[in-house]
Amino acid sequence: MEDLALKIFGAILTTILGFTVGMTYGGIVRKLTARVQNRYGPPFYQNFLDLLKLQSKNSNIAHGFMGHMAPVWIIIAAVTVLMFIPILNGNLWFPNMSFHGDLIFLLYMMVFGSLGMALGAGQSGNPNSAIGVSRGLSQMVGYEIPFVLSLVALMIQYETTSVQELTQIQHETGIWNIFSNPFAFLAALFASLGMFRYAPFDIVGAPAELASGPVSEFGGKYLGTMMSGGAIFAFIKLTLYVHLFLGGAGNPDNSGIIATLLGLGVLLIKTFTLYMVPVFYGWINPRYRTEQAIRYFWGWPTALGIIGVIWAVYS
Amino acid sequence: MNIFFLIILIFFSGAILSFIINKIAPKFSGITTFLTIAVVSFLFFTQVEINSITQFSLGGIQMQFGVNNYTYIFAILVLGLSLLASLYSIKYMQDKGRLGYFYSNFILTVTGMMGIIFSRDFISFFIFWEIMTWSSYLIVIYDGARSSKSGLKYMIFSAIGAYAMLTAIVSIKGSYGTFIISEAIENGAFNFTDHIYIPIMLLIGFAVKAALMPLHVWAPNAYSKSPMSFTAIFSGAMSKMGILGMGLVLASVYSHSTDENAFNVLILRQILGWLGGITAVMATIYALIQTDAKKLLAYSSVAQLGYIIVGLSTGTKLGVMAALFLAIIHAVFKGALFMVAGAVERQVGTTDMTKISGLIRKMPYTFFTALVSIIALAGLPPLGGFVGKWMLYEALITESNNYFLVIVIFFSSTAAFLYSYRFLFGLFLGQEEKEIEHVKEAPVTMLIPMVILALFLIVTGVYPGILFEPIAQGMHYLGYSDVNWDMSILVNVWGEESNMFYINLTIGVVFVVIFLFLTFKGLKGTRYVGTKDISSSGEIPTENENLTFQLDFFKPFQRAAAPLYKRSMNKIWNDLGNALEAIFDFTRRIYTGNGQTYALFVIIFLVILLIFKNTLFTN
Repeated sequence: MEDLALKIFGAILTTILGFTVGMTYGGIVRKLTARVQNRYGPPFYQNFLDLLKLQSKNSNIAHGFMGHMAPVWIIIAAVTVLMFIPILNGNLWFPNMSFHGDLIFLLYMMVFGSLGMALGAGQSGNPNSAIGVSRGLSQMVGYEIPFVLSLVALMIQYETTSVQELTQIQHETGIWNIFSNPFAFLAALFASLGMFRYAPFDIVGAPAELASGPVSEFGGKYLGTMMSGGAIFAFIKLTLYVHLFLGGAGNPDNSGIIATLLGLGVLLIKTFTLYMVPVFYGWINPRYRTEQAIRYFWGWPTALGIIGVIWAVYS
Repeated sequence: MNIFFLIILIFFSGAILSFIINKIAPKFSGITTFLTIAVVSFLFFTQVEINSITQFSLGGIQMQFGVNNYTYIFAILVLGLSLLASLYSIKYMQDKGRLGYFYSNFILTVTGMMGIIFSRDFISFFIFWEIMTWSSYLIVIYDGARSSKSGLKYMIFSAIGAYAMLTAIVSIKGSYGTFIISEAIENGAFNFTDHIYIPIMLLIGFAVKAALMPLHVWAPNAYSKSPMSFTAIFSGAMSKMGILGMGLVLASVYSHSTDENAFNVLILRQILGWLGGITAVMATIYALIQTDAKKLLAYSSVAQLGYIIVGLSTGTKLGVMAALFLAIIHAVFKGALFMVAGAVERQVGTTDMTKISGLIRKMPYTFFTALVSIIALAGLPPLGGFVGKWMLYEALITESNNYFLVIVIFFSSTAAFLYSYRFLFGLFLGQEEKEIEHVKEAPVTMLIPMVILALFLIVTGVYPGILFEPIAQGMHYLGYSDVNWDMSILVNVWGEESNMFYINLTIGVVFVVIFLFLTFKGLKGTRYVGTKDISSSGEIPTENENLTFQLDFFKPFQRAAAPLYKRSMNKIWNDLGNALEAIFDFTRRIYTGNGQTYALFVIIFLVILLIFKNTLFTN
């Protein structure tokens, strides 16, 4: 019984951590972007204020059942994936189920949310939402290819499909996968540009063009819940990358308070560094057209991924 | 009487009965069909013993009927799906003509499939194969002139397959002296050693039914032109007869081959795998540009069969298990989806996605079926479709070393999200136009089969083990020993697992929590606004403003993937057809039918003979 209680506590802790970190990172990026564009910008905690405002609102209108369910799909996908990836390697405070679901499962589960939300956006009847969905799905076919190539490279290099195992191998050998298979890392990094949807790949929301696309008919609680889901997703992607390529975080032999905090610190540093890549890339780029974005991912990133797979076979 | 003969007899009498009853009371023709299949299902599942054999001889040829563990999988699939499809058919076909024609052929097709499953010798196998082909051909041309061209294409390719199969069967008799399938396998007829063309000819015959590229071109039209209640079993069950045969041949090649890594086995594995992969990709990208929902599903069927063939081609335990699991799951969700398309067609009058949209509030149960089936089709967790996809990927990555095929398959299944969404959006979401105001939900006898199939998909997501059990036994028959399976845990050879129970538990808990959070004080007190009441750049759209976005839905993807769209197998076959026609036309000019011309030919022949007399007749 105590075991179960600890697990539930850990699950709630994980969710809160993912949510807080994701929201804060979003706020920091808003501030940084503003400074780069020579504006003053909102404070870094602005996202929390926005969320508080949205959640305190009552909705007066409904857009049908799928519209009502749209945020539910996102949160389901976000929290489920969060439960199945390791936060800190082997830490007792963050018990997870990563032994019960491997990379292929995570790959599919991560898509679940956006597809569910796309259905909600579809029911609202707004043509902008539908255009956004059409663009988003098309772009997904683009970036998933290099991403999967890099994952396949890792899987065959270490003969495991589990994220936990990959982290553990890096911890034991001391060699990060970024060094043991740099091509796979580069392919995944390029894919992450599309995943985070900053410019030049912000074609789904496309401010000033699609009126924020799929989310344009959602407000109040719905928008707030979607925002939380998005924040958790940002944390998930970054954590996954850190555990796959950057050696992970946390010490599996020591789950004391100090070691845990230290591990979290390492995780934050690594994730934030990684997060800056798409953000920096976005600052200096205008928006692509959809087909340009897809072609981008099918170009060099895919080539790098293929080299990564060949590298993995012969190493 | 022997149970197998009884079942075949019931089928044939059912076919005749439904034809006769249609003359007296057309209403009861469909009910007769349903009852026939129900009686057979009851008899089959209560009376038939697995691995029992019935021998008899016909014209001096030994023939055997029986069911083994492997064909039992397909028997479940065929009987289950055709039972539901015939129930669905009663209301679906209600207002259409020529019901006797339709239903007797419907039963004959099911007879053909069950006969194939019963057959333990090649002669009855071939006879039932042809019964299945011909009766399904007659249903494809049910619509008359509108579908005669699709029917012709189907017939031509089926004939190619049948001749290839017949050649192989005769060769087996000639070389190994037996028509019994299991004896032929034991004698090594499929071993790729002595007579390499025998397994290849058989595979060609099966590949036509399984719609493998380049023999798939009949499928999209034939699937979409037949009545939907038949397409449900046409695409769901009949294509699996091809898979049944391919599985049998491939498993014997792999498990009875003396050298696991023999060169020709490897070649076969690569060629079949890549053909399956390319079939999946090409069919997927053609599916996502279709505007007719039926055509979209038809192309999607071809793509899904590609995955199954890829799974079979690996020849590993997990790969074959994935293929057989996908075969059943595909039958379920594609059956359900074709029924959805049929329900929409019956209630609205068309399945053209550019003409209809926003049916979700009019047809909620149909939408539920479509949603669940599409989630399974896309292979998303937590439904049964994911289980099959997971095993397929793990088999390719961990066991077959065919890494780039993984990418091809992954590309195809990611692109499948596009047409999955297109199907749901095109029919059920989007603007609610005035034209669909009168639309009502489909009748309850059509909904029951659909919802049963949808619920089955949900159950197999949590407990895929209920399908693993028969599959594992079937694979044991094929020569794979120690097939491990668990009620809800999927394991690959490296020891990693996906625990469907934990996955479903997590999803369920989060779903309940967040759904209550949103619905509590959320949905209550709100009013539904129409699809015109939206933010359109600050303007209020008027009643008659057309905000539907359905045409060229994935234009950006089409532009990005333009080089892929330039290739079309259909065009190549058409060019070949035209070339043959030109040759035949030339031949026709020689045979004019005019006696004078023939006399001229004789004279020319004699002249040539005289000129070359010295060179031809030297002695």
